[in-house]
Amino acid sequence: MKKAIFSIFLLVTFSFSNTTDVSNELLNDFSDEFESEKVEVFDPLSGYNRVMTSFNDGVYTYVFNPVTQGYEKVMPEPVRLGFSNFFDNLLFPIRFVNNLLQFKFENSVEELGRFLVNSTFGILGFMDPASSELGWEKHDEDFGQTLGFYGVPAGPHIVLPLLGPSNLRDTVGLVGDGYVSPINDSSAINYKIPNDSSQTIYIGAGKYVNKNSFNLGKYENMKKDAIDLYPFLRDIYEQKREKEIRE
Amino acid sequence: MILRKVLFVFLIFTVFSSSIFAIEENKIKDIMEKNINLVINILQEKEKTKEEKTKQIFSLMDKFFDYEIMSQISLGRDWKTLSNEQKKEFIKAFETKLKNSYIDKLDLYTDQKIEIDDIEKLNAKRIKLLSYLIGKDDKYEIEYKFYKNSKEDWLIYDVNIIGVSIMQTYRQQFSGFLKDKSFEDLLFSLNNKK
Repeated sequence: MKKAIFSIFLLVTFSFSNTTDVSNELLNDFSDEFESEKVEVFDPLSGYNRVMTSFNDGVYTYVFNPVTQGYEKVMPEPVRLGFSNFFDNLLFPIRFVNNLLQFKFENSVEELGRFLVNSTFGILGFMDPASSELGWEKHDEDFGQTLGFYGVPAGPHIVLPLLGPSNLRDTVGLVGDGYVSPINDSSAINYKIPNDSSQTIYIGAGKYVNKNSFNLGKYENMKKDAIDLYPFLRDIYEQKREKEIRE
Repeated sequence: MILRKVLFVFLIFTVFSSSIFAIEENKIKDIMEKNINLVINILQEKEKTKEEKTKQIFSLMDKFFDYEIMSQISLGRDWKTLSNEQKKEFIKAFETKLKNSYIDKLDLYTDQKIEIDDIEKLNAKRIKLLSYLIGKDDKYEIEYKFYKNSKEDWLIYDVNIIGVSIMQTYRQQFSGFLKDKSFEDLLFSLNNKK
């Protein structure tokens, strides 16, 4: 009898200790899986970044957003989709070059095929028969990702005026992309559309507003999840880029 | 009459089966696909109010989510410093926060489609389900991450949207917040900011 009670007691203690072990082990697993809370995020520009974040937030809320809303009302959706395809097609050199630089040859070939098909059958890229008919999907790669691919670290986070969250590596990447982009006047490659930087800005703004017309309300909605806007946007940006580089 | 009886039995069965719910590994994809499609159907019903929709959606999806483990993950190291009372309060507040945030996101739904890709087993206790939200102009990757708990149930502990982990984002936010504010402040901010 005593033995039985004792063994029940043992069993109970054992199973109890076992459950706490399991949950502790689980928690440790999760701590490994999720980045351990860094004591100090490397963010030497946080003062400037905060100011620029609230500036961008204001410009977005009071300028870009109302403009986009007007644009969305005036422009029928097929037209906006057409422009979106058109700009995607124009930016083919960025994707082509960066897929090549990352040895993603199949993607580069597919990009080249997309460009040829969409520029001709897709009427200057306004339509995207390459993906709708042939299943050739776009492979987004940019120079920031290429640098990341070669092991260049992100460097300090930098919030760019109007363009939003970035970091040192991706800012350098933007310059590289501007060099091959047909809608940026930097460098003297023959296919450049804008003749000077003000034309680059107009085209960029048009492209942005058109793209944004498909994303109305998303930023405001996401912003509600933030306890503190600047670190929230910063962490999301860095996580997203890391994932894009890994791919 | 018979039909009624059948219906009744059916109802009892569904209620019962959902209460002893346990999702098996090889069924994760099918079950999630079925439920996500049901959610899409609910979202597309125009005559329903938002309240009705959210209630139905949560009754479908709630059982897949482990809010307790999510709360622990979101607080990281700070979790262990809390009393049991505080833990309970936090789980409640965080669950509400997550749900409110989800309800807000439903406003963004227009007519996007969801495509379930496939599951990937990462190790004995982790599985992720890859899916795509397909809009007019873009395609977003959504990853549901499951873990196996001590009762052999597979439950969702995190969702990645275009590579951004919701739990990681909260974890970083909370740890930043708790660096110079107290747990009570955090609880207050969760409960008072929708």
